[in-house]
Amino acid sequence: MRIFIRGSGRAARGRAGVPLCWIVGLLIALGVLSGASLHAGPAPPDVNAVLAKLDDLYKSSGSIGRVEMTVVRPGSTRTLVMRVWTRGEDRALIIIDSPAREAGTATLRVGQNLWNYLPRIARTIRIPPSAMLSPWMGSDFTNDDLVQESSYREDYNARITGRSTDPPGWQLRLDAKPDTVGLWRRIDLVVSDDGWLPVVERHYDRRGDLARVMRFDQVRVMGGRRIPTRVEVTPTGKPGHRTVMRYLEMQFNANVPESTFSLQRLEQNR
Amino acid sequence: MRSSTLRLAWRNLGRNRKRTGLALAAIGLGQFALLAMSGITRGYTDAMLETVTGPMVGHVQIHAPGWRDEQSLELSVTALDARLDALREEPGVARASARIYAPALVAVTRDAQAAVVLGIDPEAESGSKGLLATAPEGVRPGEHRVLVGRALAQSLGVTPGSELAVVGQGKDGSIANDLYTVAGVIPSAIDLVNRQGVLMSLEDAQQLFVMPDEASEIILHATRPEAARELASAVAARPAFAGLEVLPWQDVVPELVAILELADVSSYIVLIFVFVAAAAGVANTMMMATFERLHEFGMLLALGATPARIMRLIVAEAALLGLLGVALGTLLGAGFVAATQGSGLNLAALGGEAAAEATWQGMAIPIHIFPRLAATDVLVGVAAVAVTSLLAALWPAWHAARLEPMEAMRS
Repeated sequence: MRIFIRGSGRAARGRAGVPLCWIVGLLIALGVLSGASLHAGPAPPDVNAVLAKLDDLYKSSGSIGRVEMTVVRPGSTRTLVMRVWTRGEDRALIIIDSPAREAGTATLRVGQNLWNYLPRIARTIRIPPSAMLSPWMGSDFTNDDLVQESSYREDYNARITGRSTDPPGWQLRLDAKPDTVGLWRRIDLVVSDDGWLPVVERHYDRRGDLARVMRFDQVRVMGGRRIPTRVEVTPTGKPGHRTVMRYLEMQFNANVPESTFSLQRLEQNR
Repeated sequence: MRSSTLRLAWRNLGRNRKRTGLALAAIGLGQFALLAMSGITRGYTDAMLETVTGPMVGHVQIHAPGWRDEQSLELSVTALDARLDALREEPGVARASARIYAPALVAVTRDAQAAVVLGIDPEAESGSKGLLATAPEGVRPGEHRVLVGRALAQSLGVTPGSELAVVGQGKDGSIANDLYTVAGVIPSAIDLVNRQGVLMSLEDAQQLFVMPDEASEIILHATRPEAARELASAVAARPAFAGLEVLPWQDVVPELVAILELADVSSYIVLIFVFVAAAAGVANTMMMATFERLHEFGMLLALGATPARIMRLIVAEAALLGLLGVALGTLLGAGFVAATQGSGLNLAALGGEAAAEATWQGMAIPIHIFPRLAATDVLVGVAAVAVTSLLAALWPAWHAARLEPMEAMRS
């Protein structure tokens, strides 16, 4: 599954949504990067190699993890802790563990489909296409962020535009190819020198306006991969709105059976 | 003006009845067209205004600043009950009711659809200008029973008695979810209600979306709709409403104001035709009547009539002609409006299917209208005809007054 870290998704507009992909992707990315050679120094890297790294960052046959999501709003802050399972590129299950009021609420992704299970009313609902741009679980991620699949190599024309000093690394500019159907027309990003980890991404919408900024930090080795374990999303034009995801635990290349991603499993709610 | 002048003018008009009749018809038709047009336009704008301000927009709206752009639950009107109590004591307020608007997903089966939950005051909204005016008799939301817009009900496949899951986001960011029984299906001219509306009681919505004593907006209906702006200012000036946005309907739907002004403009265009018709009719008649009587005027002058007397005579003739014509037109126009205002005019019969389906900003445009006249419509027409008649008579009158008696008699 592709994660919206890569800019495949869009900024949430104020309702409810889950950054599944992103969680999953980050987890997977760790594994890929741990094996990568270091690319430090002033010689600009090959742009295709960087894109390949970023694209493959999130790939894993399966992953299991625990993630904390903090949604900051003017005057309030809400923190959710959830467990995440992924398999391949388009299977994901997220179950909220806390707070107690929302414990057991779960999201299942299979392909382009998204279901939410609501334990209070014991109902499963499928998210309709018209609600894909609504926030996931009240965060600054949208439902669409969870199901988007995009590839930097296939969807964008990229070039390295220079050195970045703060944060240190290489600056890349990605322009969507003309025939790409996606939310972002352009993505500016900075990758670190040590392993081309994403540091900052700026997503520009179809009108060319900055829609959101994502910052990646707290790089640690988790589940055998070296990854940023914290991602902060700030939508533009919404003062005081922010969502922070932190990876608490991660296993990569885990054996997650296909049966995990079924409606029965979603509704069992262990 | 002496009565002999009027008598003479009257007789002179009778000399060529065909010509006078044509002039009267032109003026009368103009005035009739003006009144019929004004009557229909007024009826139409009345209906439009009532459709828009009636159930959906109200005459005055109160919300937190920024709500109209974001429509987010975080931007709510707090201390709701105290504010509603204060508003109900405000002079000029016919009705004050609070609403919650919240996006949600609704589902009977697993397949959800996007909807908008409207938390409303069932009692206040049951009047003829409320959102529930079109609800089935005796079917009201409340106590976990909801009404569903007809188009939404069809696409969801719900019928009264269905259990509907509603999932959204609470004001505190939590997941709002609950089950409701569908009490009924509501047809509505308002697109939002018809296609997306899930109507529940304000209490149920406050509980679902974690908004105790809060709402998205307060809608006021004024006892005098034309005083909406003054009412908005009076409410905004109250200390309890400081920091809230209090808007008259004109500011909420400025597009409607533009449409209503356009209707006024079209009335004025008709008015110009009336002017032209009256001026042409009177000028033509008076010119012919004057020039064929030059001989007679010469005689009168020779016998001692003053030029002023001649002028007065001609002006009186013109004024009489114009006023008779406008009176005729007023009679016809007022008769038309009086005949149609009771049962109304059904424009659908004239415009066919397209007219029946016309909507504006998601609200069905009224197609059955009740013409109405204002005294000003009649007065404006009368004044226009009077002024143009006099102006049209001035040149012939001036010409006749300057005649040389000897020359005129010889001609």
